[in-house]
Amino acid sequence: MCPQPIIQFRRVSKVYHKGGADIHPLDEITLTIQEGDFVALMGPSGSGKTTLLNLLGGLDTPTSGEVIVCGQDLAALSSHERARWRCDHVAYVFQAYNLLPVLTAYQNVELPLTLMPLSRRQRREHALKALEIVGLADRVHHRPDELSGGQEQRVAIARALASDPDLLLADEPTGDLDAHSAQEIMSLLIALNRDYRKTIILVTHDPKVAHAAHRELHLEKGVLSRDVDVKNQRM
Amino acid sequence: MRLLLLNLLRKPLRTLLTVFGVGVALFLFCFLEIVLAAFNAGVDMSDASRLVVQHKESIIFELPMAYRSLIEQTEGVAGVTTASWFGGLSQEPLANGEKREEFFAQFATDIERYLALYPEIEVPADQLRDLLSDQMGCLLGGKIAERLNKKVGDRLVLRSTIWTQKNSSTIWEFNVRALYTTGSPTFDETMMLIHEKRFDEARQFGRGSVGLYILSIADPERSAEISAAIDARFANSPYETRTMTEKAFNLQFVGMIGNFQFLLRSIGSAVVLTMLLVSANTMMMSARERTREMGILKAIGFTDGHVFLLLIGEALAISLLGALAGVGLAWLLANALHYNPKPDFFPIFYLPGRSMLAAVGLAALTGLLSGVVPATAGMRLSATEALRSV
Repeated sequence: MCPQPIIQFRRVSKVYHKGGADIHPLDEITLTIQEGDFVALMGPSGSGKTTLLNLLGGLDTPTSGEVIVCGQDLAALSSHERARWRCDHVAYVFQAYNLLPVLTAYQNVELPLTLMPLSRRQRREHALKALEIVGLADRVHHRPDELSGGQEQRVAIARALASDPDLLLADEPTGDLDAHSAQEIMSLLIALNRDYRKTIILVTHDPKVAHAAHRELHLEKGVLSRDVDVKNQRM
Repeated sequence: MRLLLLNLLRKPLRTLLTVFGVGVALFLFCFLEIVLAAFNAGVDMSDASRLVVQHKESIIFELPMAYRSLIEQTEGVAGVTTASWFGGLSQEPLANGEKREEFFAQFATDIERYLALYPEIEVPADQLRDLLSDQMGCLLGGKIAERLNKKVGDRLVLRSTIWTQKNSSTIWEFNVRALYTTGSPTFDETMMLIHEKRFDEARQFGRGSVGLYILSIADPERSAEISAAIDARFANSPYETRTMTEKAFNLQFVGMIGNFQFLLRSIGSAVVLTMLLVSANTMMMSARERTREMGILKAIGFTDGHVFLLLIGEALAISLLGALAGVGLAWLLANALHYNPKPDFFPIFYLPGRSMLAAVGLAALTGLLSGVVPATAGMRLSATEALRSV
């Protein structure tokens, strides 16, 4: 369990230097997210969605401001410490699935567990359980190239689930999928949030996908332009 | 570890070809080491407690037999024997009536004294007794006996390229009375020892002389002093001497082949450098192809150190697999199957343990060097950049 709120952004800015010019993908963002929330992060391309997600997962550090996730100021950690922290608290689901092609579904799901102090038997239990949750118990020995896009994404979600993270970061998880598979993945994410109380931050362009979340955050040119409580609107 | 192994199998043909390349290079390296070891075998078998006395001008000049007792009287000398090069070729009759001539080393010596100086030589007691009681007898190394297909009791005919008998014949006959073995891989097992007494009495010229003296000394640290004393004793005589350690004596022969060793070492170095470049190229190509995967690993919690170890481990694994193949094949050929392409030229042909270690060390070094660039790049790679790559 993480201390509440699970995410705090305090005047977070990110500046890149590219081709002699400064690019500001995020500018003075301040926001708070509670544990168990399901937040959709929306905005046009280049609005800073992925940068925000990378800061949340400790893959990147802010140029200024504080990113506090699970009570930890990520900027205060070294690259090594952030990797260890990520392993314990965060899991990613990418648009392109990002499974390792040489590993089977089971081995992909087990991979982050090898970084944890678990026995082989415990790793096996966790991995199989995660695959069962995503409905792929019968595909454990298949390699990614033997699975459909929707199945690959489900394996990616199982990999994210296996280590029981506090925070699930999904970057356009339905972007490469057909409508049917996209619906399946969204149902799965909703179930994970509802049944397993996983905090989910979902980046998407698709308003229909975003509508599954409790809250929508809209970014434009690196600035938080709208914060919509979808859950209460629905009510 | 599993990921490392699976990555190696990702492109099996490429991995196989790289391992093969490293293996061939290390096999060649080992083969050159075998040849160098063969050249240096005499040096390696040298003992610090043995000195050799030869004619001051050249080894081809003889020394008087009378020197033996004078050398024995020198303070610090524990034992003395002689050795005269016989220069014979074996005469094996062929089916077509011609003879097959085979070259190997033969020395006329006082066999009993010789064996006392060389405890490395092991002769069965009963065979030794027969050998010492038969002046026509000879002692053969186990390997040359096998090559000539001779056993105890057989006759061995040699044609000397130097010595004629009193009847003007260059054909000498001997009885194989004993076979010797040694416990050391660097000791020559292709020698033949014959009785000096019979040799001296039967030869047409050169009687009363010997090729060189071999002596043992009680204290190896006094070798320079004892050598100087012996040479001083015969200074200004018609047969001045040059005394040196057995190692220095044997190094003279190695020196005769000039810069051949340097040439071999240069080839070996070029081979290793090529191997390094091939391996480095493969590792960099392999790492570049997996930039995105490194990003994935980092995103799911693998540290920069994990990525570094994974890539360096793959490079090491490829190099060490190559070492296993190359060194293993060289060991199998030379040490297990006793393959020798030129047994008359290389009496000792084996892959020394230190060379195997050197080859494995080289492989490890190659793996580390070829892996360090992609591994460092992988370690420094930002996860966000890596995940953006296609």
